[in-house]
Amino acid sequence: MARYIDPHIHLVSRTTDDYEAMQKAGIVATIEPAFWLGQPRTEVGSFKDYFSTLVGWERFRASQFGIVHYCTMGLNSKEANNIPLAEQVMELLPLYVGKEGVVAIGEIGYDDQTEAEDRFYREQLELAKEVDLPVLIHTPHRDKKKGTYRSMDVAEEHGMDPGWVIVDHNNEETVKEVLDRGYWAGFTIYPHTKMGSERMVEIVKQYGPERIIVNSAADWGISDPLAVPKTADLMRKMGIPEEHVELVTYRNALTAFSLSGQMDENDWLSAPPIDQTKKLGGNSVLRGGQVPRVEGPADRVEN
Amino acid sequence: MNQNLEIRRFLLQALEANTEEKSILWLKQKAQKIQESASPTAFFLSFSQASRYFTKDLLKLSEQEKNQADQLVSGFEPAFWNVLQSARSFLLLNLPEEKETWFSVMNQLFETGDMHEQQALFAALPILPFKEDLLSRAIDGCRTNMTLIFDAIALNNPFPAAFFPEANWNQLVLKAVFMQRPLYRIQGLEKRRNSALAEIASDFAHERWAAGRNVMPELWRLVVPFVHDQYLPDLKKVMSSADKLEQSGGALTLYECDFAPAKALLADYPKILASLESGEVTWEKIGKEYQDSRV
Repeated sequence: MARYIDPHIHLVSRTTDDYEAMQKAGIVATIEPAFWLGQPRTEVGSFKDYFSTLVGWERFRASQFGIVHYCTMGLNSKEANNIPLAEQVMELLPLYVGKEGVVAIGEIGYDDQTEAEDRFYREQLELAKEVDLPVLIHTPHRDKKKGTYRSMDVAEEHGMDPGWVIVDHNNEETVKEVLDRGYWAGFTIYPHTKMGSERMVEIVKQYGPERIIVNSAADWGISDPLAVPKTADLMRKMGIPEEHVELVTYRNALTAFSLSGQMDENDWLSAPPIDQTKKLGGNSVLRGGQVPRVEGPADRVEN
Repeated sequence: MNQNLEIRRFLLQALEANTEEKSILWLKQKAQKIQESASPTAFFLSFSQASRYFTKDLLKLSEQEKNQADQLVSGFEPAFWNVLQSARSFLLLNLPEEKETWFSVMNQLFETGDMHEQQALFAALPILPFKEDLLSRAIDGCRTNMTLIFDAIALNNPFPAAFFPEANWNQLVLKAVFMQRPLYRIQGLEKRRNSALAEIASDFAHERWAAGRNVMPELWRLVVPFVHDQYLPDLKKVMSSADKLEQSGGALTLYECDFAPAKALLADYPKILASLESGEVTWEKIGKEYQDSRV
């Protein structure tokens, strides 16, 4: 069965049904970029607990469904605009960037393209260089083209190697420049807006599979945690060769984010089989009376 | 202070036998930096980054080293630690022990730790300074749903039996039952049995039976010193179980308790009684078999 990585998904907002469906569809690893929560946080403690969740509980939760969970750490561009709070978050970040399974600084960049966003984007580029991590750039939804180019200009100004930067949320208008300048180009498949799977197929046909990475960016909004495997299926149906499908839905993400030294194919290839009985407390993910799922040699699934 | 130094020496020696040289060099360098640095940044970074230099393989210790550990701190069982957490514990012990600063750094570490960092922190409780002041942290840690972290506090750790008040101790033991953790690995389990816990254990068994579910056989060990009329029907039920392992738990309880009608009940099972008298059945064996075959 094909293996997939979803390199951009906000799992704290997803249900256990999603996890089960993702695992069944072949997703073996996920990357959860630190982002905002749909409404602005007002206290630095909220960031602290959120960051701790990304390296703690969510990782544990994912493991119970046979999915390896990684994350990126950063101050997102929206909340960079609350300067006093952003300054405190910047003080907090060094505590988290060195943790296991933190595969990049991100998602950072521009939203409204304000002065404050620019300041904290630059500070975080410096942080990434200091701790030898790749950078995941969130490109703005409004004034996208200019914002995307500016993100790359500034990254270069700070001496970032484009091979260490993943520029996310591309579309037909931004992809050429991003690839030409040597960056990784992330594409988010949204059910109704931006990139649909059909458009994604056309892009891969036109630009080939090099440095292109597909993700779902599924979160608390309308989004599809199966976007990566569904897009892969459509690519196959439309005649894209299997090696190309593998590159854009698995291998490229692995190559880019394993630059961190924190992500290794063996993390899932040689992972112990799922065993919820071993890992679970009666009051955690399994509720009383539920039959735990044990994936033994016979791949027995009881629920 | 001397004890701190001795534990550091012990851990370093154990790590040297378990790790390559470049990791040890890194560790020594960081330890020096932590001792000399006025800001905690070096400590936080090295505590996290230790995962890049040390594996999660179990720390291999000789019998002599295991005894040495127990002599350093009674109940200290690093044979259950992995290499990474041993290195992290070594770093912890290099933090200057000025109480106010120490707690501000440690609080931050506890609050921001990832799963394996928290495992290291909680398992290290018995070798840390200011133990009395870490009690609330340990009690709070037990509220976790992450087995790895719960185990770090509850299993092979002398801290809970030494410091937990009865109510918290009882919650810890009951949660271990609930999470199906091996009770025989809880230090001080027998010494800290109490009548309230025995009642809680029996109530728990009734709930499980009502839901048509089984009860872990080690549970009955909690009841042993308090067996009287109240618990006899429970034990009768356990003895009539078709599950041999459950029966063993019930039988060992009847055998170890001090209540004549219980002895009479056991006499109805002469074969089991014989195996008990030969010393074949122990709580540890029951617990191990349960973990291997049922959990």
